Amino acid sequence: MLFNDYPFLLGFLPIAVLLCRLADPYPYLRIWTLVVLSLAFYGYGNPPFIVLLVLSILINWFAAQAYVSTKASIVITAAIVANLAVLAVYKYLNFLIFNVGLVLGRSIPLLDIALPLGISFFTFHHIMYLVDLRKGKAPIYPLGHYALYIAFFPQALAGPLARWSQVMDQFGCRIYAPGWQREFCIGIAFIATGLFEKIFLADRIGPIIDPIYAQAQLGPVANGDAWLALSFSFKVLFDFAGYSDIAIGLGLLFGVKLPFNFNAPFRSTSIQDFWQRWHITLMLFLRDYVFNPLTNTRILPRRFFPVQYFGAMLLTMALCGLWHGASWTFVLWGILHGFALVICSLWRRYGPRLPPLLGWALTVMFVLLTGVIFRAGTLDAAWHIFQGLAVAPNLERGRHLAPIFVVPLVAFLLPASQDIIEMLTRRPRPWFAALVGFNLLALLIELGKRNVNGFAYFNF
Amino acid sequence: MGLPTSTSDLSPEWGRCLATCLGTLGIGALLLFAIMIAVDPYDTGKFGLFGIDGVDDRDTHTATASRARDLQFDSAVIGNSTAQMLNPADLSRATGLRFVQLYLTGGSSREQLAVLDFFLRNHQRPGALVIVADPFWCAHELREPRPGDFPYWLYDNSSFAYAARLMSWPAIEHVAQRISIGLGLRKRNNPDGFFSYEDIWLPGNFRATNRPRDPAPAATAAGRDIFPEISLLDAAVKRLPGSVSVVLVVPPTFYTTVAKAGTVAAAEREACNAALRRIVAGRPHSNFINYRIENALTRDPANFADFIHYRPIIAARMAEGIAESISLGEAAKIDF
Repeated sequence: MLFNDYPFLLGFLPIAVLLCRLADPYPYLRIWTLVVLSLAFYGYGNPPFIVLLVLSILINWFAAQAYVSTKASIVITAAIVANLAVLAVYKYLNFLIFNVGLVLGRSIPLLDIALPLGISFFTFHHIMYLVDLRKGKAPIYPLGHYALYIAFFPQALAGPLARWSQVMDQFGCRIYAPGWQREFCIGIAFIATGLFEKIFLADRIGPIIDPIYAQAQLGPVANGDAWLALSFSFKVLFDFAGYSDIAIGLGLLFGVKLPFNFNAPFRSTSIQDFWQRWHITLMLFLRDYVFNPLTNTRILPRRFFPVQYFGAMLLTMALCGLWHGASWTFVLWGILHGFALVICSLWRRYGPRLPPLLGWALTVMFVLLTGVIFRAGTLDAAWHIFQGLAVAPNLERGRHLAPIFVVPLVAFLLPASQDIIEMLTRRPRPWFAALVGFNLLALLIELGKRNVNGFAYFNF
Repeated sequence: MGLPTSTSDLSPEWGRCLATCLGTLGIGALLLFAIMIAVDPYDTGKFGLFGIDGVDDRDTHTATASRARDLQFDSAVIGNSTAQMLNPADLSRATGLRFVQLYLTGGSSREQLAVLDFFLRNHQRPGALVIVADPFWCAHELREPRPGDFPYWLYDNSSFAYAARLMSWPAIEHVAQRISIGLGLRKRNNPDGFFSYEDIWLPGNFRATNRPRDPAPAATAAGRDIFPEISLLDAAVKRLPGSVSVVLVVPPTFYTTVAKAGTVAAAEREACNAALRRIVAGRPHSNFINYRIENALTRDPANFADFIHYRPIIAARMAEGIAESISLGEAAKIDF
């Protein structure tokens, strides 16, 4: 079920709000109502995957119980390995088979495996909790809480990747406590903003650049259109930031404050700054559960610590790339960003201070160029786009290319959506409420065309 | 998450803001929907309180619904742009029936079947049907309709499916057009639907574009006689009363795209022709006419705008053949 489609907005969401309102006076029902709604949401597109999700919840919850009873670390290790194995089978097995075939010089038939929605996200949720449980940071929770932590529908499919510590205590609290009207107003503003970002910004760029990338798969893009393909990074920004804002808004309607995921990343003045503003919750996960363990463990002698540190940085970003999909172009994209982070770290220590404007320009240029590798699918296709940059931009389509100019301006000039909403909702403003209502009506009318585009991060 | 809290969090003003927001959304949506129901933006006859007549719409995919339900016509020409030049007024004069042009620009056979179904649902006693079957019909595999390509919901029997699509910018645009027609501020489309593409593709110019969409040959000899979309047409024709004339026409193409005898393409074409011919075989006042042949008319580039779009001189000859077929059935003498 897509957040930007009628079945969700006019069907599931109103019913879910109503059911939660009815369950609100009964503490026990609050959590389980949301669990059932979340499973229904998850199973809407592909009911068999509910079994996978439920099994995943039960096995990990029982593993946590077993660890608390026995204090045997092996239980946690086994559970984490099992989670990663399931993720590997669904997401990377065919990639492995394909590459083994390449090495052996023969074609090995691929398996018919469908990727369960959100598997990366719920796997990471399990890992965060289990690791913290073993460290003694996380307590044990009842099954309802744990199930909701994994399956909570606003974030189950594509984040934000909330920590257990950020949400567990909110589950089961009254939604309709005094002040709920304010939370709802802010939640609706987030939903309207997210839908706007997705429908009026991201989806406007897709139809312009998709044919260009399709052409790049076949051969060089020599007609000047390659420049337009650079705008992919803006598309994916507003696609995912839009999704995250809708998720945050939905969370507020169900009494849960989810973490922010984007903070105007195209206003960054360095690549380090960029990665503190883009997909924030994933980067915090990678920092705390991949990078920090890699740097805090003594792998190389102390005098080689910088090598280990920067190696860990490269490896973390390579894994970040691989997380986005089973393809060497994603890995290359991650490694390039890793190198950029290493260079940036060294520059900050040894190089002269860059003027912010120059830092911003270099950062944007780097992100846009590496975005081509991310989107192109193959290195050949990416190279065809890069070759095409030797030709002057083709702007013959005039006003039809307006999104290519307007959307970047929004990304460059406006603050993060949460800052805008925070500013506009510091106190009650009826005119703003009416504007949000009107915006929602316009969005529903726009969705009336029913050519709904899925969210990019559902693929990751 | 760092959403701020302050002493104004509990202000009753927030409740009023929430009501304002949801009220704007709810009342706006209800008002808009009420206007849609009252005006019936596409003139499908499913709704509408004001009795506004017709639409002002150049998009044949949406405008055809209005024409297809118009009771001043009892007969229809159905096809895509390869049927467009058949003037319904000529056919009406020659047959005494009242023809309407229901071509769909770029329309596939499934889309034409949807229009045929809609026309028949809105006409209890149809006179004649002329189906201009371009090569699209000759596919050996059933192609499922692609969502978003064609407004099937407009031609669907369900008012609910139609109502569910009325909250959209195109529908609002159509409402504005229909209200303007109702107020006499703009003219409605030509009721019989005839629109000559010679207004765009001026006479005397032949462009070597738009090759016929001949489907891929059948993989096996047995598969050559399987035409799923022609089977759907056959089923639709079988449901018609025997009094309804049905003329199936293969439109002419520029001679270079006519298959040479003895080739696989010719065998494929003949198999498709045979399947179409079987639909009307033995049916009174009905006929199958294959105009996709090489002759003096199809060899002259002046008679075509491109490979598949013929000029009025050919359209007039086709209209004569169609009228003759409606009169004499398979005994008609086709002069082409």
